[in-house]
Amino acid sequence: MNNIIEIKDLHKIYARGTHALKGMNLTVKEGEFCILLGLSGSGKSTLLRCMNKLIDSTSGEIYICDGDVVKATGKTLRRIRRQIGMIFQQFNLIKNLTALTNVLTGKLGYVSLGHSVTFAQHKADMKLAMDNLKRVGLLEFADKKVKNLSGGQQQRVAIARALMQNPRVILADEPVASLDPATADSVMRYLGELNKKDNMTVICSLHFLSLARKYGTRVVALKDGEIVFEGTPKEIDEKKFKKIYGEEAEEVEIK
Amino acid sequence: MKNNKIKSIIQAFFTDLLFWIYVFGCSYFLIHSWFEIELTNTNIHILIAALVFTLVFLSFGMSLGRKIFSPTKLTNLKWKKTFWGWTIVFLLVITFVVGWNLVEVNPYKFFTQFKNARGISSGIFDPSIIGYKLTEKSFEELRENDVPLVVLEKLERIKNKSYTTKKVLSLDLKKKLDANELLEYKSSIFEYAQKNSNMLNIALSALAETIFLALLATIFAIPFAFVLSFLAARNLMPKTFLGNSVYLIVRTIATIFRSIEAIVWAIIFSVWVGIGPFAGMLALMIHSIAALTKLYSEQIENIDEGPVEAIKATGANTFQVWIFAVIPQIISPYLAFTIYRWDINVRMATIVGFVGGGGIGLLLLQQQQLLRWHNVGVIIWLIAAVVWIMDMTSAKVRAKLVEM
Repeated sequence: MNNIIEIKDLHKIYARGTHALKGMNLTVKEGEFCILLGLSGSGKSTLLRCMNKLIDSTSGEIYICDGDVVKATGKTLRRIRRQIGMIFQQFNLIKNLTALTNVLTGKLGYVSLGHSVTFAQHKADMKLAMDNLKRVGLLEFADKKVKNLSGGQQQRVAIARALMQNPRVILADEPVASLDPATADSVMRYLGELNKKDNMTVICSLHFLSLARKYGTRVVALKDGEIVFEGTPKEIDEKKFKKIYGEEAEEVEIK
Repeated sequence: MKNNKIKSIIQAFFTDLLFWIYVFGCSYFLIHSWFEIELTNTNIHILIAALVFTLVFLSFGMSLGRKIFSPTKLTNLKWKKTFWGWTIVFLLVITFVVGWNLVEVNPYKFFTQFKNARGISSGIFDPSIIGYKLTEKSFEELRENDVPLVVLEKLERIKNKSYTTKKVLSLDLKKKLDANELLEYKSSIFEYAQKNSNMLNIALSALAETIFLALLATIFAIPFAFVLSFLAARNLMPKTFLGNSVYLIVRTIATIFRSIEAIVWAIIFSVWVGIGPFAGMLALMIHSIAALTKLYSEQIENIDEGPVEAIKATGANTFQVWIFAVIPQIISPYLAFTIYRWDINVRMATIVGFVGGGGIGLLLLQQQQLLRWHNVGVIIWLIAAVVWIMDMTSAKVRAKLVEM
């Protein structure tokens, strides 16, 4: 399998002086479900946001889907971004718009400005959006405003939005951290399905080892902006866990 | 360390200089107004005296500036025992005395001259909503009731003239008729005078003018403010030289235009396009653009950045990000601000009318200059009613919009 993501010696120093990423090297193969572990502030979010240039990196190279992310600007950058779906902890939906409209925004990278303000006239887009909502089991909520949906439902709308991009890679920044355990598992199940059925590469940051073991094909653990562990989920025992999360940590089971 | 010391001394020096200039300036003003003594070259004298006092007192360590700018050791001295304590007391006293003189405060006038305001207060409590008029019909009826033709001819000149109250009508009757005629026919003239709500109609149409000019000023301001607010939002402008310059220029111009009161714009436009509602509309529009740009852009700066990030990540371009991530978040607060602005504009339109902006303000000015207090009463009550209604409804609508 070919490498879909290649990151070489990536550094990120924020304006206030925080050195968030210290020479990160990471290669992800197409079809992997890669879990990022690590404490808050270990650099997971920064790494994910550098991958689609929501944050500019300080130095280093990033290649995703054969595109040079660091050098890309304008149209080239948008071409790369539209192949990368992103899912956020706070869902980041537009709360006072309907679920359907939110899903349609996933198409923005592919269409012109004029097209994007007249989505209702484009039957193909509407049908695709409805299909994606159906896929995450929210067809009957299409015309509801997102703020009236529950947390789990909102995250599924966000997944449908990412699907609308027909992405090759999905970046998920703690997608279940704001959800209760049962909902968390159902959201992860959708991500797992996209990985297996649609062969999408998923990079997902998590806090729960049990979910990592269940869905991940590979685990990368970060600490203070550096990779401290790379391997399969099964390899993480108590000793490695303490190395990642510190001596005080106890593993929390979630089923 | 040494630099800091020099800096603090310079700061102390200029603070003291300002303090002494103020003290001598105030003293001169008081001497001038109490003893009517004219001095020449006062500005230079004040400056020299202040300079001398500053240097002398500073060299003795008695200085207000030193207290403010040098890091002093903690002392337990009460303010009564320090120089700066007394300077502040002195500053407060002299400011109060000068203020009292400048404002010409006069409690005696306030308590003894209420009778001067009797006209206007009787007008307010007895607004002439219904006036009187001798119409063709009144004349016919008077003829049928055997009022002689001589008397009617004398009344011919006040035919169809509007009177705000019977009192005003009888004043005119006194001028036209002699004592006997007045005694005999006054009551029947009163009886057949047609009621007429002239002033109320005039005031209502002027009021409509005011409300509509405020509405148009608001509507015309919206597109300008809408576009400008995006350019004046820190979080939307790219952190490049061009982005920063656009942000700064738009912000600065909006601030300058906002700090010029609508009344000043009204004076300018009443010369430019002539006295009338159009001038008032332009004045309020300019002021509204500046004010709404500020309110709108602050709203944009307060939006949730999450959706912006998410829409960017889909590969959307800048305009698509604005349309899908920014506008949906700001549309209802924008509406709320706009309605609030209309509310403010109706109130300001009244004031703007006074300086040539048309509408009910202009009518109020005219009636006040003609000393028609009963008409002034009508206008004042109407303005109060409209302001009250607008205030209530706009608050209700805004509350609903916030929930949306």
